[in-house]
Amino acid sequence: MAKKTAYMGMLTALAFVLSYIEFLIPINLGIPGVKLGLANLVTIVALYTMGVKEACTLSLVRIVLNGFTFGNPAAMLYSLAGGILSLLAMIGARRIKLFSVTGVSVLGGVFHNLGQIMAAVLVVENARLLYYFPVLVLSGTLAGTVIGILAALIIKRLDKLIREQNQ
Amino acid sequence: MGKRVQHAGILLLAVLLLVGIAAMQQGKKERNRYETSFFDSFDTVTTITGYAKSQEAFEEQTKLLQEKLMHYHQLFDIYHTYDGINNLKSINDNAGKSPIPVDEEIIELLKLGIEMHQKTNGQINIAYGSVLSIWHEYREQGMADPAGAQVPPEELIQEMAAHTDISRLVIDENQATVFLEDGEMSLDVGSIGKGYAVQRITEYAKELGMDHFLISVGGNVSAVGAKADNTPWLVGIENPDLESSEAYIGTVELADQTIVTSGDYQRYYMVDGKRYCHIINPETGMPPEYVPSVSVLTNDSGMADALSTALFNMEVSEGLELAESLPGTEALWVMKDGGIRCSSGFEFHEKE
Amino acid sequence: MKKNDVILIVVLLAAALAVYGFISLFSAKNTKEAQAVVYLDGEVQGSYPLDHDTSVTIQAESGGYNILEIRDGKADITEASCPDKICVNHRPVQNRGESLVCLPNKIVVEIENGGETEIDGSTK
Repeated sequence: MAKKTAYMGMLTALAFVLSYIEFLIPINLGIPGVKLGLANLVTIVALYTMGVKEACTLSLVRIVLNGFTFGNPAAMLYSLAGGILSLLAMIGARRIKLFSVTGVSVLGGVFHNLGQIMAAVLVVENARLLYYFPVLVLSGTLAGTVIGILAALIIKRLDKLIREQNQ
Repeated sequence: MGKRVQHAGILLLAVLLLVGIAAMQQGKKERNRYETSFFDSFDTVTTITGYAKSQEAFEEQTKLLQEKLMHYHQLFDIYHTYDGINNLKSINDNAGKSPIPVDEEIIELLKLGIEMHQKTNGQINIAYGSVLSIWHEYREQGMADPAGAQVPPEELIQEMAAHTDISRLVIDENQATVFLEDGEMSLDVGSIGKGYAVQRITEYAKELGMDHFLISVGGNVSAVGAKADNTPWLVGIENPDLESSEAYIGTVELADQTIVTSGDYQRYYMVDGKRYCHIINPETGMPPEYVPSVSVLTNDSGMADALSTALFNMEVSEGLELAESLPGTEALWVMKDGGIRCSSGFEFHEKE
Repeated sequence: MKKNDVILIVVLLAAALAVYGFISLFSAKNTKEAQAVVYLDGEVQGSYPLDHDTSVTIQAESGGYNILEIRDGKADITEASCPDKICVNHRPVQNRGESLVCLPNKIVVEIENGGETEIDGSTK
């Protein structure tokens, strides 16, 4: 239990750091608050090494933490919408077992962006924002691929570590 | 226990998301921009631009403004009478005869006229109707028959100018009556009536809860608030040189303010190749020839209307002094050579 | 990375490109050309694209008329029945928001769409 708590704490800290990095190098997609989602990396790692429940908790803690630290209500709302949709997509993608970590991450990235833009469309009440759709799918795919490859490497090592420790 | 916490968490999350979206939507209130124009008041075109939730809502609101404007048009009309109301024509028709009971808005307008007469050293005179009607007649004839166009004879102008003493305009506020003591004199509020009406409908629009509107009655422009995104309205000052390909000499930003221009290039007639505009200097009885146009930017459209006419009647240096002496009032002159002069606080984006 | 992952990535990229292509095609059609819109007593009477030279006679309700000419991307009233001829003397208009007004005939010609100066109103 203590080990698990420590592990969760470590992942949360990592997610926080990644969000901070993202905060430092903002990408402007024309919608304030919409971000690339580097912190997805941690969510994926948690999903594969710990489980659905832990991934959800981690994701939520990260979003709230970031929202209060770096963001504004709008940014937090977008992250929340993006985070939830992304998580659901990844949980589903992992269950159907068609894809490896990279594929799951790509779907997570794409749905992360879709969730954000959907929230933005609802808030701004301007369907024209959907013009950003291709850009967001593109950026989600690219970010998801990079994150997925990284995540796969991390999971491989962590898995070994966790298994050894559990023995 | 763990499951319950988890469910509660998910529920909380969903509620948070929905409430957040709803709250931000409330704050935003997306509105569309509409525009309408009509011709029925003050012998000019009125254009109203504004933001409303729907075309119907916009039309409903602007319809009320249109009716209100029409009301003022009828009150200040000196050529026609209307059933059931005493207007300026009623007052003029009873000059030298009897006081006429009138609407309190007429009294307010006339008081503004008297105030502006004092403020501008007599450059605004709403009791100048007798001379203006002569010019009006000659101008109409001149436009109908350009070859036979004539300037009114000086003797006639001088004769009529004897009946323009504004102190003989008697307002009885208690009785709400107006009386012209001189039977030959008449009122003509051409220099302030439109501006006064624009100011009143601007205030009326605010009362109706309209908060992002731009009203232009024949170039007498008044802003109710700013645009929906809270950036100011951009208003072009027309180039008096109609031969030039530049439509505007520049732009000003307007939010909860008004700008009015007086110029010689819109309403005029030609006699022997010389232009005679519709603004007549009360001192000389002739159209002033100082500058092609003067614009006044301030908070009250009635004031702006009166001042732009007054400044048009003055030398630029004199006008500059007057404009600088009035707080919150800025003025811009377009000179004969196309150059621009303006008071110290006039923020103006010149066309490069 | 599995083969499925690669397929997924390729499919997503292709979809993004396809949607992008579709949108740019659609919005290209959607950006309207500048046109002169004629209002008769506040009602739209007709509109004429500025890139097409033409000459139209606008019949006013009062029985008067204005001749609107469109040439070289500009709209101009070249002849009118009104006494004051303010509309005829006015320079041709071409930028969005500019207008020609004939008060006696209650006709407004306004330029809509097209580029440049986004002016909300004008004072004269």
